Parts: sequence; structure tokens; C-alpha cells
Amino acid sequence: MSLLEVTDLTMAFGGLVANDRISFTLHEGEVLGVIGPNGAGKTTLFACIAGFLKPTRGQVRFAGEDITGMRPDRICRRGLVRTFQIVRALPDLTVLQNVMVGAFLRTHAMREARQIAEEVLAFTGLEARAHTPGKNLTIADKKRLEVARALATQPRLLMLDEVMSGLNAQERQQAVTLVRAIQRRGISILLIEHIMDVLLPLSNRVLVLNYGKKIAEGSPDSITRNPEVIAAYLGSSYASPS
Amino acid sequence: MLDRRLPAPLTLTALAVVIGILVTTPLLINNNVFHHTLILIGIYAALAQAWNILGGFAGQISLGNAIFFGIGAYTSSLLLVRAQLSPWLGALAGMALAMVLALLIGYPVFRLAGHYLAIATIALAEIALVVFQNLEFVGGAAGISLPITRDMQGRPTDSWWMLQFNSSKLPYVYLALGVLGVVQVVATLLDRSWIGFFLRAIKNDQTAAAAIGVPVARYKLIALLISSACTALIGTFYAQYLLFVDPETVFGLSLSVLIALVAILGGAGSLWGPFLGAVVLIPLAEATRSQLGGRGTAFDLVIYGLLIMVIAVFQPAGLTGLPERFRPRQRTSVAPAAPADTQMEESLRS
Repeated sequence: MSLLEVTDLTMAFGGLVANDRISFTLHEGEVLGVIGPNGAGKTTLFACIAGFLKPTRGQVRFAGEDITGMRPDRICRRGLVRTFQIVRALPDLTVLQNVMVGAFLRTHAMREARQIAEEVLAFTGLEARAHTPGKNLTIADKKRLEVARALATQPRLLMLDEVMSGLNAQERQQAVTLVRAIQRRGISILLIEHIMDVLLPLSNRVLVLNYGKKIAEGSPDSITRNPEVIAAYLGSSYASPS
Repeated sequence: MLDRRLPAPLTLTALAVVIGILVTTPLLINNNVFHHTLILIGIYAALAQAWNILGGFAGQISLGNAIFFGIGAYTSSLLLVRAQLSPWLGALAGMALAMVLALLIGYPVFRLAGHYLAIATIALAEIALVVFQNLEFVGGAAGISLPITRDMQGRPTDSWWMLQFNSSKLPYVYLALGVLGVVQVVATLLDRSWIGFFLRAIKNDQTAAAAIGVPVARYKLIALLISSACTALIGTFYAQYLLFVDPETVFGLSLSVLIALVAILGGAGSLWGPFLGAVVLIPLAEATRSQLGGRGTAFDLVIYGLLIMVIAVFQPAGLTGLPERFRPRQRTSVAPAAPADTQMEESLRS
């Protein structure tokens, strides 16, 4: 069953068309990867889907409902949540409190929100940081907190915007493990990532953007063999890995 | 919520000591000036706490909270003078009116990003000031004097129902502390509920808050409604204490600024900042006022402005943030933790 359906989505900033008639479908339980060079329109696409930008044209349907142009908090209530590439940990709140804000979407009871938050912290491996203020976290922990906070809203679809960038190899491996674990929980994932080696093995299908247009869609294997993708993004070095 | 938590018994003991001092000293030191100062401290601490719910918790700065104060003071006073209505009921009417106005201000303003709340509240308070100065129905610039409650023999008397005490200031002291207690409890309950979490999330980063489901505009409005209702209640009480209301006193910009200053000096966003700010600033403000002469000079505004700048530059966390400043530096990010990867692997396996 298709959970997210994007049809002819166009986002123009004056003369600059950041997303040009993009259409795709994400199925329930799937990890759909979105790749593309810098400036391809990945983050704009996220912002349009999650309600932070109102698309110029086109439609976004989530779980059968038209959510185009709806406010982000309403979209989140329906079960679609995003993280930010530029991490936005709430600086004065501790990690636990950050996550509790997300948990309060589904309950107004303090004890229950705390329970949800603690469970999410255990799941994401942030327990040891529970009482650290957001502003004192390392970049890796801030990225993990972004994911934890989003999970606390109990989403059906989680949209991750470059959660691996800026991490070292070990931290990246942890993040990959986490994404897999989230998928096993039955949460669908839309994943923007710019690091190919990370995105391809994680994704069931991949969407490639370039200059605001969708240039390819398919299995990770077929994407790496697509000549247009290789030319636009991967470069010849990827076709013959060294 | 964000206060470094003392152990619960210690907090309760500290609270009991503060309340004990506040309750007993007015009885032990039976002095009018002392009582008057205590009343003002109570009033300003309560006003600053009401401001704090909006400005400190939610980060929405109002520089015109006097508008709500004036509405509270005028509504109950007019109902008392024209309809002999008890100020208790007048207070309810004032709170309701203040909330209606808050809704009218907040609904459009919170749909805009930026500091429009500060501008809108200043503008409305100034408009109210001019309107009330020129409207004969509400007493004009001269204001309204409230009638003295008298007994059968025509002597001034005390009445809880009419909220008026002519024999001593002592009941007013306890009323002021009571009003402060009410606002303090409201702030504490908010702080410990989801509303407090949402307000702080909005103050920290409203885009991030919206992304995880916080209805930003609605909760800013909730904070404004609560703040305005509390401020109006204090306005009624203030009118009953002075038995006199005039536009300059209750709608003036210097009142709005002083409210914000008390909270900011004490520590905006902290639960005890407003009280601390009032304890420090109000006696000072009273002393300088009597030293530097009365109204019209606006010299107090100059001092308040300077103070705000000094705090903003050197101690943005206010007085309650001072201990943090002198605490030995502790890097939390280096605090011992289980190796992150083994820990996560374990949690993922379970």
C-alpha cells in the first residue's frame, strides 16, 4: 500500500525552480533513498512534503489524505515527521526533555511522556546523555537526538535529512544500525543522504534528483548502473570502484 | 523544569522558610512603610511572574502588559463605582475582558514571525492611555476614586466582600502575598505540564517545535491568555489597595517596562526569578523615586533602560543565573558514559 504519494510537485522561488514536477510513491514499510548533488532540491522536497514550504504546484498525499500546504504540526500529528540536516536540538532543554516534547504530541500526561521518551532514549542509545542540555551535545549525539525526538512522536513515516553527514566512520555505522532498527519497527523511512556508500545498502529503492528534476528511480543496483545517474552524480570513479 | 533540581526535601524546606518569613515578618515589624514595600513587592513579583509565563517560558516579549493591568484595574473600579459590584466579581469581569483583548492581539500577531507582540502591546497600551485620559465616562485624566466602605455609623470599616481595609495595611500585605502565591502556583503547574514543555520548545526553536508537532501559534496564544488574565487580576487588587485608578499609573509605559525589567533582572524563564527580581528592584525603585522626584521626569525610565542593557550584555540569565556563573566549569559532554556503540548495540538487540 502506498503511504506517501507525491504528484507533480513543483517549488519555485521566483525564477529558481528548486523542485520541478517531481512524482514518486513510497510504500508502507519501505526505505526510500533520495540522492542528488548539492543543490539538487532534496531538502526543498522535504520541506514541501512536511509542510515547511507551500509547494507552487502539485500534490502530497499521506495515508490517502491530501496534506499539501498543511501546517507542519498537523502533518506531524498524522504520523509524518522530519529531521533537520542542520541539527536543531533545543539548546536549553536536556536530551530527555527534548524527546519528551515530541512524546507530548500523543499524550498530555507527564509520566507517560517520560516513559515514551525513556524508551526512545534506550532505543537510540542516548540514555547516558539523558540529563545533558541540548547545547552541550556532540554533533553525532545531536543528530541522534533529532531522530529520537522524531521517533517520540510515534510516526508512520520518518524523513531523515542527512543524518549521517558530518559523522566519522564509527558513528556512521551506528546510525546505519539505528535506521535498520527503525525500519524493523515497521516505520517507513524517506532518507536523504549524500554519502552513496551509506544510502545504497540501506534503501529498498532510490530516487535520484538533479537540478530539481527526478532523473531516475529504481533499485539501488539499477541506479548505480544508470548512465544518466553516473554522468550527473556518481562520476566514473563510482562505476569502477577502486 | 529547567532549574537544577535540589533534592525534594531541601526544596520544600527552603520553600517553607521563605513562606514562613513572608507570613511572620509583617506581624513582627508593624510598620506602614515596611508593609507598603511588601505589598509592592508582592504585586510586582506577581506581575513579573505573569510576564514570565509569556516572555520567560515562551520567549514572547511583551512591552505593554500594562494594558491588561489597566483593564483589570478599571473594570472592577467602574463596576464598583457605577454598579456597587464587589471587586471579586469585578476581577472576574476584568480577567475576561483582558483575555478577549489578548485573543484579539494574539490571533493576528502570532501568525507573524518577529517581535510584533512587543510593538502591538506597546501601541495598544499607549492608545488606551490616551483614550482613558480623554473619556469622561471613565474619569478622564483625573481618574476614579473608589468610595470608602463604611459601617452603620458611617465610620470607615474593613470588608472582605468589598476587598477594602481601612484599619490597617496588614490584610493588604497578605492579599498581595496571596495573589503572588496564586500566580506562582499557576506558573509552577504550567512549568511541570506539557504546556511548559511546549512553551520552552517554542522559545528555543519554533521551527524544530513545529516539526515535532507543537502547534506554535496556539500555544503562544495560550501563554498570552494566561499572562493577561493574571495581570488583570493583579490590576483589580492594586486598584483596591490604592482606592484610586488613573490612566498614567495603570497604562503607562514605565509600568510595562518595570514589569519586564523585574522578571529579566531576576531571571527570565526561571520560576523564582520574578520574585527575586522584585525583592531586589522594588525597594530600590521606591527609594530612587522618592529621591529623584516624582512623575513627569521619566528619569526612572532612563535607569530601567540602562539596567536592561547591562543585564542583556553581562548577565542575560539574570540573578538566578548567577550561581551557574561561579560554578567550576564542568564539561558535560566529557562526562563518563558507556561506550556508545556497545550500548546501542545492546539496546537494539533487546
